[in-house]
Amino acid sequence: MRFTKAQALILIAFSIPVAIELRTVAGFFNYDLPLIGVVVIEFLFLALLFVLYGLYGEKSTPAAQ
Amino acid sequence: MATASGNEPLFVERFPDEAAVARANLLVAFVALGIGAFFGLVQALHRTDILRIIDSADYYTLLTGHGVLLAIVFTIFGLAAFFHWATARSLDQPAVSSLFSWAWFGLMTTGSVLASVAILGGLVPSLGISADVLFTFYAPLQAHPIFYIGLAMFIVGTWLSGADWFLSYRAWREDNPNERIPLQAFMVLTTMIMWYIATVGVAVSVVFFLIPWSLGLIESVNPLLTRTLFWFFGHPIVYFWLMPAYMMWYTVLPKLAGGRLFSDPLARVVFLLFLLLSTPVGIHHQYLDPGIAEGFKFIAMTNTMFLLLPSLLTAFTAVASIEHGARQRGGEGYLSWLGALPWRDPAFAGMAFAGLIFAAGGFSGMINAGMNINYLIHNSLWVPGHFHMTVGTAVALTFMAAAYWLVPQLTGTKLYSRPIGLLQVVLWFVGMVFMSNAMHRAGLAGIPRRTAEPQYQNFDFVTPIGSIFELRVQIAFGGLLLFLSVVLFLFNMLLTAFGEKSERPVDEYLPEPLSGPEGSPRVLDNLGLWTGIAVVLVILAYTLPIAGIIQNGGGLFGGGLPVPVTVFPDVEIVKTVLAGAFAALAGVLL
Repeated sequence: MRFTKAQALILIAFSIPVAIELRTVAGFFNYDLPLIGVVVIEFLFLALLFVLYGLYGEKSTPAAQ
Repeated sequence: MATASGNEPLFVERFPDEAAVARANLLVAFVALGIGAFFGLVQALHRTDILRIIDSADYYTLLTGHGVLLAIVFTIFGLAAFFHWATARSLDQPAVSSLFSWAWFGLMTTGSVLASVAILGGLVPSLGISADVLFTFYAPLQAHPIFYIGLAMFIVGTWLSGADWFLSYRAWREDNPNERIPLQAFMVLTTMIMWYIATVGVAVSVVFFLIPWSLGLIESVNPLLTRTLFWFFGHPIVYFWLMPAYMMWYTVLPKLAGGRLFSDPLARVVFLLFLLLSTPVGIHHQYLDPGIAEGFKFIAMTNTMFLLLPSLLTAFTAVASIEHGARQRGGEGYLSWLGALPWRDPAFAGMAFAGLIFAAGGFSGMINAGMNINYLIHNSLWVPGHFHMTVGTAVALTFMAAAYWLVPQLTGTKLYSRPIGLLQVVLWFVGMVFMSNAMHRAGLAGIPRRTAEPQYQNFDFVTPIGSIFELRVQIAFGGLLLFLSVVLFLFNMLLTAFGEKSERPVDEYLPEPLSGPEGSPRVLDNLGLWTGIAVVLVILAYTLPIAGIIQNGGGLFGGGLPVPVTVFPDVEIVKTVLAGAFAALAGVLL
């Protein structure tokens, strides 16, 4: 199944509440995650998403898949 | 559910008058949405101290405007548009009199304009008109009489709109004596019965107390009585907002997902449960009000917890219907079917986001409803965080998403831009996540609601994770995204309305449910029976508390000294009233 722009946009949207509450989750494990840590994790997630979109996105070539 | 084949004429061609009334209702709703959203942005920037363009004294004027324009005008005009469309479509017949339809629309609009003038008059002190009474508008805050008069006209307009839909139903019933009520019409009728019962409280409060008080005809009112009468109406109005959204989730969302509604009878049961349980719960908004015995609050809490049932049933039915649609589109696996859903479609994506946020709002609502744990968050910023997830997203985002599918049916023009629509619903979701999540957290930290200056000298609010500054930034950022989302939505709607006519702007066809009404008991359609039970439940829930409030709070019009609250005097006054009524009845009969 091809990865569409709309699906990418929806995944980005769903990642926001996860990122916002990441520090709470870390707190359950007695780990004090700094704000910058959350920003870096979200950035890495977005980078991964862009890479996946490049590989499997609707405009990617069949060879790339 | 009545269906239309894919080759039938458009709704706007079959029912041009009904389409015009629905369009007019949506126009008022969208104007209110634009103004109310702008006020919301100004408030979010002001109270977070990010940008202040108004005096703090004017904050309450904008807060009232934001609440009334969005929670009453936008939602109820939106409801009227959806219900007018749904009644004509599902009964497959026009309204009995289009003149009558325009009459109730005119009354509602005039009432809204009067109330809005009273509110906005607060920004121009020289006018001598103001209504800084917030959305809840109960005493001791007092508004200019035209606010209450406008409100009364608006409520009467909604009553007449319900009468319009009941007249359509009666005409349909004469031609179809043995048919089950079509599902959308059933939803419209049960919602309006609930509304008729619920608005008794606000009608009594406005007509007998607030209007005479604001005109100076009476010196005082019993504040607790007006509060209780407001919440008699103030909780069921939540379901008045939600039930049209539920109607779209039950009857339109499955089609958008590519499938069919899972169960028609389950949908009927859900709407009947809302009819029965929406009103006898209002006292759960008054857990901290002195003057109401704790036992009555406990009963209200118990009733409220029962209300979770129809919402959970809805969550099950909606997800089951969506999953069925995804599998029809080739989706497989336990979770990977989610990828097969039509996320490109803003109508589907918006309703799905709305449902998801509503689940979170439902959980925070359980905290509000719990009598003990409510003390932790009562009157804190948690509460606006909660209702921005429910009415502010479950309802508002569903209405906007539904508009992407419905407006082309009403105008005969294609949606201007689906990508802009998708961006709009995503912006709303992200903005609301930022804003309402931070509001909930701020509420847990003790930050109060309904204030322009949530700061105290020599006191700092503390949050266990992050900082209060971060929360303020998140609220302001979320508010900004929400406002941008509204701008995109209105832009899209405007260009859609003035777009070129199309032969088939949208697929109007609504498929039959997987499980139809045939196998369900016909008693579900006995609206008289359910109305009677709903009225009895309201009498049981409210008679003793209101008797106590009148007796202990210095009478109907207040003024006396309050006395300690007990249950027994309430019982005594009810016994006295009942004994008097029986004696009078016996006198008449014998």
